[in-house]
Amino acid sequence: MASQTPAVVMDNGTGYSKLGFAGNDSPSFVFPTAIATKSQGGGAGGSGSGRPAVANKPSFLTGGAGPSGHLSGKRGTEDLDFFIGDEALSASAGPGYGIHYPIRHGQIDNWDLMERFWSNSIFKYLRVEPEDHYFLLTEPPLNPPENRENTAEIMFESFNCAGLYIAVQAVLALAASWTSSKVQDRSLTGTVIDSGAGVTHVIPVAEGYVIGSSIKSVPIAGRDITNFVQSLLRDRGEPDSSLQTAERIKEEYCYVCPDIVKEFSRFDREPEDRFRKHIVKHPNGRSVTVDVGYERFLAPEIFFNPEIYSSDFLTPLPNIVDTVIQSSPIDVRRGLYKNIVLSGGSTLYKDFGRRLQRDIRHMVDARIKASEARSGGAKSGGLEVQVITHKRQRHGPWFGGSLLGQTPEFRSYCHTKAEYDEIGPSIVRRFALLGGPGST
Amino acid sequence: MLLLDYQNVLIESLLKDRFSGGPPVNIDQVVSDFDGVTFHISTPEAKTKILVSIAVKCFPELVQYGAQAVLEREYGPFIVAPESGYDFSVQVDLENLPEDQDAKDDLVRRISLLKRNAMAAPFEQAFDEFHKLQEEASKYTSEAAPQGVMEGGEVRAIHYREEEAIFIKASHDRVTVIFSTVFREETDRIFGKVFLQEFVDARRRAIQNAPQVLFRNDAPLELQNVPGVNNSGSGEIGYITFVLFPRHLTNQRREEVISHIQTFRDYFHYHIKASKAYIHSRMRRRTADFLQVLRRARPESEEKERKTASGRTFKVQS
Repeated sequence: MASQTPAVVMDNGTGYSKLGFAGNDSPSFVFPTAIATKSQGGGAGGSGSGRPAVANKPSFLTGGAGPSGHLSGKRGTEDLDFFIGDEALSASAGPGYGIHYPIRHGQIDNWDLMERFWSNSIFKYLRVEPEDHYFLLTEPPLNPPENRENTAEIMFESFNCAGLYIAVQAVLALAASWTSSKVQDRSLTGTVIDSGAGVTHVIPVAEGYVIGSSIKSVPIAGRDITNFVQSLLRDRGEPDSSLQTAERIKEEYCYVCPDIVKEFSRFDREPEDRFRKHIVKHPNGRSVTVDVGYERFLAPEIFFNPEIYSSDFLTPLPNIVDTVIQSSPIDVRRGLYKNIVLSGGSTLYKDFGRRLQRDIRHMVDARIKASEARSGGAKSGGLEVQVITHKRQRHGPWFGGSLLGQTPEFRSYCHTKAEYDEIGPSIVRRFALLGGPGST
Repeated sequence: MLLLDYQNVLIESLLKDRFSGGPPVNIDQVVSDFDGVTFHISTPEAKTKILVSIAVKCFPELVQYGAQAVLEREYGPFIVAPESGYDFSVQVDLENLPEDQDAKDDLVRRISLLKRNAMAAPFEQAFDEFHKLQEEASKYTSEAAPQGVMEGGEVRAIHYREEEAIFIKASHDRVTVIFSTVFREETDRIFGKVFLQEFVDARRRAIQNAPQVLFRNDAPLELQNVPGVNNSGSGEIGYITFVLFPRHLTNQRREEVISHIQTFRDYFHYHIKASKAYIHSRMRRRTADFLQVLRRARPESEEKERKTASGRTFKVQS
């Protein structure tokens, strides 16, 4: 143990960053991917990105001083004046700091801020010397290779990290599902339903490779559920209908029901059993009681019946999953139906997996029956549909990374600093498949 | 963030969370700290008993310089037999915590400073030796002092990383702390030089109270007779010397000085990396500016032949 330092696993998502060491069962730090910097008061055309101003002309033309005379600025440490994570949120509430989110839609948007975000997460939170550790980072599916190269440039040239592996989040989520007892063979074929704060992706993965052409995203995710709960609370005129309260209610009370109509009648029949009261404690000591009613099952229902929430997106999630698998190559479809893996915070509702499995199975069975009827007497062997729910869903990609990062052969899959120096950033365009056949 | 914290943030936040009375859960985490230090936080017996173990590469050396005494002073009743594979363990029982909040916070702080305290032993010993020597030296004039007093004590070497070490030497008017550093990267070495130059200049310019800092590529005289010092002078290895004067070694400053000087290497590397990040962002900015210039320089698009919906073309009559 002491001879080999554990690999650092970092999963930077749009909403939250998960940081930790390989081999642990939960990330050491989970905080918002946010960075608060000193807002520049229109400082020399700074585009609000916190970048330092650059002289208009190279310094050799102006005799070294630069026209704006910002030599004095060079001695300062303004670039170190920033906060990340929860500290960033609290700093931005005060004066002087502006908050930025360097990741948009899963992809890194502002490399300057991301570089500083990483440096702070490595040195302040994880407290490691990057030269001593291997790093496992994650990327969203369909991440352009240029982004990978930029990441590698930062990791190798700024931080001199010993080795780097960039894994696709969906593949790691599949690896995380190996902890479930339902999984017998550790295959990397399956459909990943990744639902975080901003967007829900349905990603088919065949033997560790993402089938990019079949990925579909659903514009309904955690934030929409929170908004929906909030609107229900507002409609009823509850005493507290803030976003935080809605979020708490969503996380604590919501579940997925098999049938809305039956659930409504059940609520009416046994109200004392189903209706709940949520107590909101204000920091000033007062507390308010909020009634929790139908939103308990209605909120997650927007995945299955989107028409109750949005008017422009109307396809239920099970149909999307079915379409995704049907548009994948025919020889992997069986594997994709058999291994539907959930990942991300918005898939944690009770019975979410069961409902999804039932709906997809109905669809598949109906299709098989129809084709049996058309063929006139041929019998189908049936198709297994299985949705896998497991304990590590919340930080699925991180946990998968931790699982794979602790294997002894992990280091041989990484690209090392020496290889990077030899070949250049293009080296990270390809990685051998971690956890693929023959490795575990 | 200019300075690095001394405590391990994970241990701190974890214990704070536990101590504030959350429901006890299983913990089993292996985390790293700077300089190859590994912590293991676990609850092996019961959910309420948190065991924190530390593995330090140079623990035998630290023990030799009195680490056990320092750790016993800091953690007295919490010490348990070290977990196998680790060098030192403390255990906290959540059902047996101090009552008032201040004592709890103090305990959290002390445990999260485990690494700092383990590494502090040789410094403390050297500082004590300095005080002794100072007392002794005050009995003599500078010419008449006997051999041992003039030259100071032995050199304490802590090989805290594979290729790098800290050397501490006490004498009657100062304590010298020498770091040997290795830079694998050409770029880092240059950044490092600029930084150290800046340290030397800072003392000259404004901050007279700062300890004297020297940087050289061959081993300083203090280390002449120390075994295992690489004296090839190949430029890869550098020696940074801090000279701590009596005003840094007073009892009220002592804690602070030890904490600061311990994190020197990490601080140094952190700032090298931060400056690289800064320069990178300037480079990106510059590239964006140049790209803008290039876009402006693109020739106006020429008049193309236009077609009607049915596919016929016609020329503008001039």
